Amino acid sequence: MTESQPAPAPVATLPPSEAQTVILAQQGAEDALDTLARSCRQQAYVFALQLIGNPDDALDVAQDAMVRFFRSLDRFDASRPVRPWLLRIVRNLVRDRARRMRVRRTESLEPAEDALSFEPKDPMPDPEARSARRELQTLLWSCLRELPPSYREVLVLRDYQDLAYAEIATTLKIPRGTVMSRLHRARRLLREVVRRRQNDNGEVRND
Amino acid sequence: MTDHCPNAFEETQISGHLDGELTQAAEQKVRIHLEDCRHCRALLEELRAMREATMSTEFSKPDDSQWDERPRGGASLLARGVGWIFAVVWAVTLVMYALWQFWQGSANLVERLLVFGGLSAFALLFVSVLLDRISSARTDPYREVEK
Repeated sequence: MTESQPAPAPVATLPPSEAQTVILAQQGAEDALDTLARSCRQQAYVFALQLIGNPDDALDVAQDAMVRFFRSLDRFDASRPVRPWLLRIVRNLVRDRARRMRVRRTESLEPAEDALSFEPKDPMPDPEARSARRELQTLLWSCLRELPPSYREVLVLRDYQDLAYAEIATTLKIPRGTVMSRLHRARRLLREVVRRRQNDNGEVRND
Repeated sequence: MTDHCPNAFEETQISGHLDGELTQAAEQKVRIHLEDCRHCRALLEELRAMREATMSTEFSKPDDSQWDERPRGGASLLARGVGWIFAVVWAVTLVMYALWQFWQGSANLVERLLVFGGLSAFALLFVSVLLDRISSARTDPYREVEK
């Protein structure tokens, strides 16, 4: 593979407020613990939802993730960013859950459509463009479920969670070069799934 | 898939370029290739449209009332840990003492063998389940996802 030398990780420096909050929380300060809980639980929920697709299951996973998060907080190196660590906890719980579901064969492949919230921070002025964007967002969200877990994870971490490659490598414990190659394969596969769905729905492509 | 770059360009670099994760030299290489390759330009634009759609997707979030209370740390967690240690030490000591008393007691050899045989059977069953769990954990295909 011709993977390039890794660029300096943009996440190496931690916002001081987060590090201070973690240190205070490790010392048992209730305010810091509450602040950490508020900031982390929504991140845990959204990531779980993106991996699982079902809001109820995502909430269960996020609750479990927060329990594990606080139980292992004392062992966490406060000089490191919290997010990759939190997301790794969520990802491991999702994998455990997938393993159980594979045995029980009860999981639905269809994601919950009401999981999306169509109130963008920066609404597009053109209603047609906004409508097309929403349609594509819904389609991509639906097609994401058809990807294998390893592809879904890396795609969600990059394109939904907006993590840098270095952060994804930390979260998934894989080399940075593997992040790039796996991400590209995931994107190509997602594109194929989207095209197939569009063909099934009778939409004609121009290319 | 048949729609790969006709010039056999390393397409992985297209994703690196899209995400701004390439070195200056690799970035330059991709830019030069994109000028000449219609296929890779089309791929880049498609991936860009998909990424813009995913990055701008918003998700409904549960309100505060749906969350469990934050797990308490500090003293309660320490007390629980110490409590578990005490409970396990107490249970093991009690069982060992009971077995010792039984062995030293008035039971004859047959009774002793019956009791210890039964306990040995349970121990072997436990070990076999444990070995199965370890074996299935080692061969679990989902482990590969982590690598």
